[in-house]
Amino acid sequence: MFLGRVVGEVWATRKAADLSGLRLLVVQAVDERRDPGAKKVTPVVAADPLGADVGEHVIVAFGKAARVATLGADGDYAFEAAIVGIVDDFDVPGAPEEWRMEDVAAWRKARAGGKGNKPR
Amino acid sequence: MAQGACGREGEQAEMMVGTVIGHVWATKKDPTLSGLRFLVVQPFTLGEATAETIVAVDPLGAGIGERVLVVFGRAARHMIGRGQDIGFQAAVSAIIDKMELEGGRTVGPTAEEDSKARS
Repeated sequence: MFLGRVVGEVWATRKAADLSGLRLLVVQAVDERRDPGAKKVTPVVAADPLGADVGEHVIVAFGKAARVATLGADGDYAFEAAIVGIVDDFDVPGAPEEWRMEDVAAWRKARAGGKGNKPR
Repeated sequence: MAQGACGREGEQAEMMVGTVIGHVWATKKDPTLSGLRFLVVQPFTLGEATAETIVAVDPLGAGIGERVLVVFGRAARHMIGRGQDIGFQAAVSAIIDKMELEGGRTVGPTAEEDSKARS
């Protein structure tokens, strides 16, 4: 599991049948930025049962935990990663500046009444 | 294979986007893999492009240049559809139509279409 930031969303028409209806977000781990040598980062794609938005900090789980959190039970499904929590706040003393969260509250307020595309 | 974090250099994410850059054929292989189609996939990265590639089974029929979603582990074995006791752990589970990234950057189904959109 890791702490990450949602950096994008993915859409696919041709896909495994059990992925239909699942929102897929692109998540970058915050700690990638702690390593100055990490010039390239492969973001994780995670199923999103909670309705996270781009810019939000999230907790991502893998494997069985991801499937249970998304669908309520483990089984044969074509995804390995899922968002299991939307982070309200965190405190990591000494964390680099890049870890900081955006002001999500203000940002959401600004967006309210907009597209309203969050699946809840 | 890395368990957990996103892919740093030398690590792999467990579910990620990549571009199909080629095919692989092997006659001599684990008997559980006969008849499967293998692709060479280059992971999508933020920041610098990567030279790393992975090999994934493709049950969906993706073509060269297309962006795909690659999964590992149980999800991959499920995609391959031969039960969980097989000799492979990476598979394509979706062919990407579009990816929207923060900052208004949109990534299309192929790298070529990205550059078209930019120009």
